[in-house]
Amino acid sequence: MAQSGPGPNVYFPPGGESDPRMPPGSGDRWPKILGGRDANARNVWVAVASTVIFFGFLAIVVVRSPGWPAIKESFFNGAEFHASFPVILQKFVRNIFIFCIAEVLVLILALFIAVLRSLPGPVFTPLRIMAAAYTDLFRGVPTILVIFLLGYGMPALELQGIPDSDYLWGILALTLVYSAYVAEVYRAGIQSVHPSQVAAARSLGLSRWQSMRHVVLPQAVRRVIPPLLNDFIGLQKDSALVFVLGVVDALGQAQIIQQGDFNFTPFVALSLIFIAITIPQARFVDWLIARDQRKRQSSAV
Amino acid sequence: MRKGLLVLAVLAVVATACAPKSSTATSAAAGDCTPDTMNLHTPGQLTIATGNPAYKPWYGGESVPDSDWKSGKYTGDPHTGDGYESAFAYALAEQLGFTTDQVTWLGIPFGKSFAPGPKDFDFAMQQISITPQRAKAVDFSDGYYDVNQALIADNGSPAIGVTTLAGLKDLKLGAPVGTTSLQVIQDEIQPNVEPGVYPDLDTALKDLHNGQLDGVVVDFPDAFYGYADQIVGQFPQLSSGQEQFGLAFEKGNPFIPCVNEAIATLQSNGTLKQLDNQWLETDASVPVFS
Repeated sequence: MAQSGPGPNVYFPPGGESDPRMPPGSGDRWPKILGGRDANARNVWVAVASTVIFFGFLAIVVVRSPGWPAIKESFFNGAEFHASFPVILQKFVRNIFIFCIAEVLVLILALFIAVLRSLPGPVFTPLRIMAAAYTDLFRGVPTILVIFLLGYGMPALELQGIPDSDYLWGILALTLVYSAYVAEVYRAGIQSVHPSQVAAARSLGLSRWQSMRHVVLPQAVRRVIPPLLNDFIGLQKDSALVFVLGVVDALGQAQIIQQGDFNFTPFVALSLIFIAITIPQARFVDWLIARDQRKRQSSAV
Repeated sequence: MRKGLLVLAVLAVVATACAPKSSTATSAAAGDCTPDTMNLHTPGQLTIATGNPAYKPWYGGESVPDSDWKSGKYTGDPHTGDGYESAFAYALAEQLGFTTDQVTWLGIPFGKSFAPGPKDFDFAMQQISITPQRAKAVDFSDGYYDVNQALIADNGSPAIGVTTLAGLKDLKLGAPVGTTSLQVIQDEIQPNVEPGVYPDLDTALKDLHNGQLDGVVVDFPDAFYGYADQIVGQFPQLSSGQEQFGLAFEKGNPFIPCVNEAIATLQSNGTLKQLDNQWLETDASVPVFS
């Protein structure tokens, strides 16, 4: 049970973050970004100096290049940035709307597909084939094509009851594509739970479904949270693709300004917005992985 | 650590070595307007950039073999000399002293026509409206076509029969991104419904035919190309003045005076008027929104 995280019988040493077998200052096994593998004062100083010199040198090379004034004018234009940033940020609310709804739908649909694909027994072969075909199809087709096909194809059917909202089809297309990825992530989690646990649960009298629900899934989902969040970061970025359907999202707004003014600064502004929301998530994923690692280390003591 | 320093130093040297690419803009004296002396991207060739697909009525004809462009119901091939801009390009080339074979076409996404840095073409010709904002990023030739905007719609749309700008305020209208058509919706109509903005005309038209849009604003000559069932009306002259298409050049390109001279000649000898009559339909009876 050591790999299953904290349980009632797992011993946590006080101040469990530091492992006595590791060199001081290295909380985890990989070198810290600042100062390399062992970060004492001198190493940190060298790290800072080397970094400043290296990036300073690169910056000088870039700024002194012959094309820099033109690049500065069209990519890092202060006036253009001031004018476009608030407008783009305002439209970014639509991206947030799109990816939040898509993320919830992905969580549900992907789990459903992963469970279908993990069903044991020969009777369920058609379901497993369907689930496998689904993931193959939607991982294989480029996201932007799925958006095009659904967004322009479905409303053209002019069927009663099929809504013609660009948002709806955009969200649905993103959901379909990312569910394929996330389903595979879930499946990896499900398969990482040792079969002996299912056997144990079954011997305790739990049904197949109950052991899946109460024994396998809780562990599987907890383990795959970091890769799942990675996929969500991808989904958040791809929310900008919905622009091809005529939804004026942040990218649409940036492009309206870019092509109106012939200036690329709005794209830089939008990149900053995306970075601002994805970096905290990336650090959160790092933290989750580190925490998980510590737990495993300490529970293995 | 010694080794690490060495690696950093090598990286830095490599960065310096490859960074300063010398500027390609070699100066040719203005007034030297023959193909041999002009400042061209490829010596002896006139390289013109436009979009792919290239839309009628600006580009027409059946695509020539080995062309990147594929002509279709709404699209043409710049190589054919059919369509206003294609015909204008070959007339301009001839005026500048090029033969038909010396004209090279390059398909580019719209953004490349105004991206900074050296361009891989002499100028971009893609129904680009001249505006003061845009002139900060590129140098424009003199205008070669005066354009107005029009609204097209399918039968059954609430736009049919509307005669005033105010009557359009509550309609869901659309236009491709970066066009004056979009500006007309935003600045002249100032709609209560947010306009649809599309990557290109094609996608805007699909939403029009799907019934997601009540109308699409297009350049007036485009209105006659059967993109939609009806021309609802044309827009009065923009409050910012007569809109003109211009050729977009890299900033400071010394080739521009030569081109302007050629455009002026084509204007005064009636060629532009004749191309307009030949390739662009206009109909004065289309009502102007009041």
